[in-house]
Amino acid sequence: MPPSSSTGMNESAALDSDDDITARYTRLLLRAALTNDPLTTEQALIDAAALGRDMVKREFPLEEVSEVHHAALVALAEAHPELSLIAVADKITAPLMEAYMAYSLAFREQLEHRTHTILSARLDQIRRLEAIGTLASGVAHEFNNILGSIIGFSELLTDEVQPDSSGARYLGHILKSSFKARDLTTRLLDFARSVPETLEPVNVVPVISETIELLRATLPVHIRLIMEEGPGQAWVMAEHGQIQQIIMNLCINAADAIQGQRRDGLIRVGIDIRPPATDQPGPIVRLSVTDNGEGMTPEIQARIFDPFFTTKPPGKGTGLGLSVIHGLVTGMGGTITLESASGAGTRFSIDLPALGGHTPGPGHTAPPKDLPP
Amino acid sequence: MTTILVVDDDNTFRTMLQEMLGKEGFRVLVAASGTQALTLLESQSPDLIMTDILMPDGDGIELINTLNQRNSPIPIIAMSGGRRSISLEFNLESAELMGVKATLPKPFTREALRRVLGETLHP
Repeated sequence: MPPSSSTGMNESAALDSDDDITARYTRLLLRAALTNDPLTTEQALIDAAALGRDMVKREFPLEEVSEVHHAALVALAEAHPELSLIAVADKITAPLMEAYMAYSLAFREQLEHRTHTILSARLDQIRRLEAIGTLASGVAHEFNNILGSIIGFSELLTDEVQPDSSGARYLGHILKSSFKARDLTTRLLDFARSVPETLEPVNVVPVISETIELLRATLPVHIRLIMEEGPGQAWVMAEHGQIQQIIMNLCINAADAIQGQRRDGLIRVGIDIRPPATDQPGPIVRLSVTDNGEGMTPEIQARIFDPFFTTKPPGKGTGLGLSVIHGLVTGMGGTITLESASGAGTRFSIDLPALGGHTPGPGHTAPPKDLPP
Repeated sequence: MTTILVVDDDNTFRTMLQEMLGKEGFRVLVAASGTQALTLLESQSPDLIMTDILMPDGDGIELINTLNQRNSPIPIIAMSGGRRSISLEFNLESAELMGVKATLPKPFTREALRRVLGETLHP
């Protein structure tokens, strides 16, 4: 950060760059060091407090505060080589302390506020998911009762019609549709299943294919969602609902990245069992979600897991999805990484420690899992 | 003739099951709640009870519990459209834990009904 001398700029004006912070700070120290007027000293104290609060408001990194201070002192020494160190130290101690105190106070308040917001947002999300789960299971329960009557009466009616008649065929269709509806309610009930507190062995393959089936119904028609060929089973210590939440969130983000970009949207979800890397004790299960959407610049990638960071328009995203996923993955002892290039798409990879220690290659234990769009 | 008591608050479903069991050659008694079922059991002694779990007035779990306390010898089949997701009081797993002879998730086919009846009545 280059030292900067006084530019005559109005110090109370809203400033935009970090350099201006240094400039303001330098002028402040200069004024405090050079004056013998108590009023000027008083004003320097007020400005110091304002500067401290501004630095926090602008999310000035803590580690750069000392750099600013150093730069200001160098500037001060260069501008007034005649000033003795003791004189300077004596004069500027008060505004320095004021700025420092204002900074640390405001910094702590901001930190507390953020922590509180993150916690309550997570809690809200959990409550919302729970509410959706309760609602979904209630609806599915009612539907199963209704389907019970439809299926039962259809079977009874089958006895009453000629086996080869149109009526028998119609009844066949009613039954077939009813069984489809039953499969749907089963999926809903599985999806809404209440969340156990502890991790348990989970075969992620059926969990993910089930989640994909549900997601497919909600995605726009021009976005294809496919499951790549992979192992028939892949066991990790996890929580069923959290795996669903991770895949859902990543796929919805992927769909948002594709939306409006191109007509041939494609999201690929992969499950892969990989041998241990050098720094890992055992094999890992890698879950990946790859899209051919707009991709991300390195600047966005660097902040993507930050709470409240979002590229979505206001009201579309809380900016919490990926930070929550990051927390969930970490809680399972895993890691999440991404590769992305602007315009070329994004791949998120989640590595979780594999259970069981067996490492069948892709397609080893089961037929291809490529699902129709 | 084997008599089955059907307990379900859903009128349509109850009627369907009554018809279906009738066609299978059973004598069928019906009740719309656990409370009604208990009243009916004061004068009747069916060979089997088929009860829904989640009912507004005296649910199936209460009914099973009462009959267990009375050391009732009548075998019970629990039916429900809910699964594990519904809170513990209302699911088939808790009915299983309470010692019912069989569970039948709704909706079920006639074939599934016949199989469960066979297993329960002629084990």
